[in-house]
Amino acid sequence: MRAVSRLVPRRPPGLARALLLGLAFASLLLAGCATQTRGLLASPPADLPPRIELAHTPFVEQADFQCGPASLSMALGAAGFDTRPEDLIGRVFLPGRQGSLQIEMMAAARAEGAVAVRIPGRLDALLRELAAGHPVVILQNLSLAISPVWHYAVAIGYDLGRRELVLRSGPNRRETMALSTFEHTWARGGHWAFVALPPGRLPATATENAVVEALVAFERGARPEAARRAYAGALERWPGSHVLAIGLGNAAYAAGDRAAAADAFRAAAQRHGDGAAWHNLAVVLREMGDLGQAEHAARQAVAADGPWGAQAREELDRIRSLRERETTPRRGGGAGAR
Amino acid sequence: MKRLKRIIAMVLVASVASTGFLQTAQATLIGTEQVARAASGASDDRARIDEALARADIRDQLQALGVDPRHAADRIAALTDEEVARLAEALDSAPAGGSLIGAVVFVFVLLLITDILGLTKVFPFTRSVR
Repeated sequence: MRAVSRLVPRRPPGLARALLLGLAFASLLLAGCATQTRGLLASPPADLPPRIELAHTPFVEQADFQCGPASLSMALGAAGFDTRPEDLIGRVFLPGRQGSLQIEMMAAARAEGAVAVRIPGRLDALLRELAAGHPVVILQNLSLAISPVWHYAVAIGYDLGRRELVLRSGPNRRETMALSTFEHTWARGGHWAFVALPPGRLPATATENAVVEALVAFERGARPEAARRAYAGALERWPGSHVLAIGLGNAAYAAGDRAAAADAFRAAAQRHGDGAAWHNLAVVLREMGDLGQAEHAARQAVAADGPWGAQAREELDRIRSLRERETTPRRGGGAGAR
Repeated sequence: MKRLKRIIAMVLVASVASTGFLQTAQATLIGTEQVARAASGASDDRARIDEALARADIRDQLQALGVDPRHAADRIAALTDEEVARLAEALDSAPAGGSLIGAVVFVFVLLLITDILGLTKVFPFTRSVR
């Protein structure tokens, strides 16, 4: 495919081009097989229902070039976030490109309060999300790499018996597409897909890395309580994740719950022994007035010797000077007595 | 433009040097994004400056592509540093999903055939043989 796009522009128009297109076509015939579809249909996973359709997914008909906002609006609607596509246009649409970028699609979902997570680029993962009740936003290149037609749509179901995927796509409320055709168009879109979920819910198939990345990004603009719920839910599935543990503490702190923040940081520090958790624990304990424990945590933070050493030493100094002030009440009068 | 970048860079260097952070969620806690970045092996002030410059750069590009300046600021604020870095490199070339039918006349016949074979789905009126 790449070879074709390199060759075509260099050739003069006319017969040579027609010949080249013929060649390209022939190579497509040879190269183009939907391997994932074949494998999946040959031996479908036993736990995958043969047929799913998330019919409750709202339908938003796309205006010109607005498949991005329309798809986003549908996926968000299914997750319980009511948004109008008109409001999403300003968040994702790029007039100069007559389309929407993938990164901004996910950022806009977050801005509406949903957690947006990439799922693995495999057909079985896509179907599993559908089976779990999550509509999936996908990017297709409906055409060929030499003349791409990028298109967002929302997968809402499948039928293994009919070998079809069901989509809300463009002007079509219910578009059925052969799984193999879908696989071709999806592969040319880089197998890109994501789900938008309420905080606290997790995709059925996403990897730990994808979820961590999604939640760190979500925390950035989310209400602290929502971020806290999201981190807590993910920690249940991946209790060993260092970043999720820190995130839970930071979100609890931002929500004003210092005690819960201290618990989260303490758990993270004891489990991972890292400077960031000890440092944050020291800060929270100092603010709660527990200077003895705070100093202990700050010492651990300094000893952890990571990228946070300078901050840890600063915090330790702060706590020590506070403790000194505490142990020497009323400096003016007390000085002579000592 | 170069001058502007220099000025922005100088301001950023000063702010990074004085505070240590460009955007810490709370006064003194180490943020989750910082920890995640450190875990992935990249954490220094230089990277932060690059990313802040990239944010300014992307805002210019978004506005050049017709985005309302008010929206552009919100849109950039919604991105993580890592997303900014990725976007700054590929804003012009990244796929922009939008059209159902683009400028495909040139390869009309080819696409008609591939549509029928079920390799593509450009035209609404085609039915795949598979």
